[in-house]
Amino acid sequence: MGRQRGLLLLILALVIASIIVIVKVPTRLGLDLRGGSQLTIQVNPSEEVKQITERELEAVQKVIEGRINGLGVSEPVIQTVGENQVVVQLPGVDNPQQAERVLGGTAQLDFRSENPTQIAFLQVRQEELQELQAKQPALEKAGDQAAIAANQSAIAAKEKQVEDAIKQVYEKTGLDGRYLRDARTELQGNSWAVGISFDQKGADLFADLTKKAVQTNTRLGIFLDDQLLSAPTVPAEFAQTGIIGGNAIITGNFTAESAKELELQLRGGSLPVPIQIVENRTVGATLGQDSIRSSIIAGIGGLILVLAFMIVYYRLPGVISAIALTIYALLTFAAFNLLGVTLTLPGIAGFVLSIGMAVDANVLIFERTREELRAGKTLYRSVESGFFRAFSSILDSNVTTLIACAALFWLGAGLVRGFALTLALGVVISMFTALTCSRTLMLYVLSIQSLRKPELFCPNLRSKPPVEVTS
Amino acid sequence: MKLQVIRRRGLWWAISVGCIVAGLVAMGVLWNQIGMPLRPSLDFVGGTRLQFELDCTKPNNCDRPIQTAAVREVVDAEGIANSTIQVLGQEQQAVTIRTTALDVDQRTKLQAALESKLGAFDVRKTQIDTVGPTVGQQLFSSGLLSLIVSFAGITLYLTIRFQLDYAIFALVALFHDILITVGFFAILGVINGTEVDSLFIVALLTIVGFSVNDTVVIYDRVRETIALSPGRHINDIVDDAVNQTLTRSINTTLTTLLTLIALFLFGGETLKNFALALIVGFIMGAYSSIFIASSLLALWRERTGNAIAPASATATDAIAPHDQVG
Repeated sequence: MGRQRGLLLLILALVIASIIVIVKVPTRLGLDLRGGSQLTIQVNPSEEVKQITERELEAVQKVIEGRINGLGVSEPVIQTVGENQVVVQLPGVDNPQQAERVLGGTAQLDFRSENPTQIAFLQVRQEELQELQAKQPALEKAGDQAAIAANQSAIAAKEKQVEDAIKQVYEKTGLDGRYLRDARTELQGNSWAVGISFDQKGADLFADLTKKAVQTNTRLGIFLDDQLLSAPTVPAEFAQTGIIGGNAIITGNFTAESAKELELQLRGGSLPVPIQIVENRTVGATLGQDSIRSSIIAGIGGLILVLAFMIVYYRLPGVISAIALTIYALLTFAAFNLLGVTLTLPGIAGFVLSIGMAVDANVLIFERTREELRAGKTLYRSVESGFFRAFSSILDSNVTTLIACAALFWLGAGLVRGFALTLALGVVISMFTALTCSRTLMLYVLSIQSLRKPELFCPNLRSKPPVEVTS
Repeated sequence: MKLQVIRRRGLWWAISVGCIVAGLVAMGVLWNQIGMPLRPSLDFVGGTRLQFELDCTKPNNCDRPIQTAAVREVVDAEGIANSTIQVLGQEQQAVTIRTTALDVDQRTKLQAALESKLGAFDVRKTQIDTVGPTVGQQLFSSGLLSLIVSFAGITLYLTIRFQLDYAIFALVALFHDILITVGFFAILGVINGTEVDSLFIVALLTIVGFSVNDTVVIYDRVRETIALSPGRHINDIVDDAVNQTLTRSINTTLTTLLTLIALFLFGGETLKNFALALIVGFIMGAYSSIFIASSLLALWRERTGNAIAPASATATDAIAPHDQVG
């Protein structure tokens, strides 16, 4: 009896823990439920790059990340899929037009030079902005609403000017990603650096660019899709010739990660591979909420139907299976939250379906128990052998479902995988609840004198002649 | 009540063959019409599906229902061929348009043209699905591959757990379930224009994983009975095994069907056909386990002269426990 009590406590603890998890840990909802866009971007081979390998794909992914950061979407997910695709998830985007325009098209990497006059301009603008901003607290103290408003609009106008000035500072030089042959991270002594190499034409352009930079005491600007990646200076020793030979090393305060990032951005920008949006799945937020509502109704409806059936048909064991099934639903949902499973609509369908399947084990056990009872065994022995003898069937049926789930998970795409994962998790947890929860509760019930009546387990036990189980 | 599984097997097989033939005829009809045995959704052939709904928070925006003709006019004016247009919703305020794959510019232009003609759409109720043709191919072949892999996995597992002949007939029963489900959707495709999407392949795979369960339960019992009474004829053993496990075969399917019916009724448009495919497949799975897999096994054992198993044939059976009964 001590073991039963221990297990009961364990189950109770698990239930409490899962309720806490469900309340505390937020459920991760897929884009089809929270609304948003999922775009699949395909990288196509071109004249220069005949085959897309992992190396190219990684670089393209970096380029896409850069573009998405420019969009200002919160919590984007960017993953490579298969050999030549990148999947981008943009939660909360109802109208993906802008994203699609920004994401399509080949990456634009170019090397620009600073214009000294424009730098001076920029500095003046920045100083003016600071002056205006400094005035603000005094005005607020004075409380002159009109003056505050006027100053604020002046600040806004100035900020715009500063932005424009930054764009003016760097001028295109004609040296772009086409000429960059490779980029790689290197360890220079103790610090990380990024080595770049140009082809013949690029080497000449780069030599000119660096020579000019030293002479005018300005920096280079390396831009990817019009965003500044790096602005290195050129050492004075190259004043006469510029950096010749087409090989250069960018040093600075790089960590291993930041060097790798720049390498990937440079390489991605140098790839002349066209990228194309081949799939777009966009669901408006309201539609997602409708789906959540209808799937909750379906889930609860399904659970109630199953519970009602079990209680009506199996009586006392049915009540026990109803409790076990509720525990099952709680544990599974908590497991989703805990493991960070993203719930999609098919995922919810998998969960709802697993409720119906989870009860199967109970059906197998109870039917077996009834058979043993009809064969004239005592109640306790019938229950024991019901659990014992149903085990191989339960195992077989769950293993076959898991095989199908595994096939779905490894070979299926996005939405399909969600279904496979939730169904498989459900199947595994249902094994636990059927064999542990149902069993412990059942044995506990048997320890209560007033419930130890065979007719509560099997109706019409005496009115029918015992059915022969085997010869 | 006792089911005459073996004696009336002619009837059970005729029912199955009838269902299969009906499905095959429907597939033939579709093959004639569109060159495919099922109506593929854009998941598999590529295309764009747009769903728009009028924004009723704006004044006078939802005054009149959307007319299909008006939408058709706009779509045609944009030069988009082969489109299907459907007006949805009780108030006819929503419309879905299915076309060949549109790129972002074509799509934006179409949306703008529709909005100027019909009224502003609610972005939060917009749904866009665009699938390029190559992606469709990819979805289709990966789906097919996962079906084949799971078939192979289940055969392997059953062969290890049982004997090869059990496994083969379980597989025949599975093919039967899949074929009838596919046939059912072919019939729906002919009558209703119902399309199959990637969730349909998921449904087929789930049917594969689930419907073999009932077969396993019956085979488990057959094996157990053979081990306990080696001298009996296989026909009697199978009949008994099916009847003893009948309630559990029906009840396990029934509980799962209850949740599926809830999904079918309340789960929303996306899951409706998914749930329907599973309902058909699971019912067929129970049917084939009870009537097909068992009677085929008996027939096979009889024809190969193994109708009465020698005691040693199942002596290696280690998992099913042999505690005394009765």
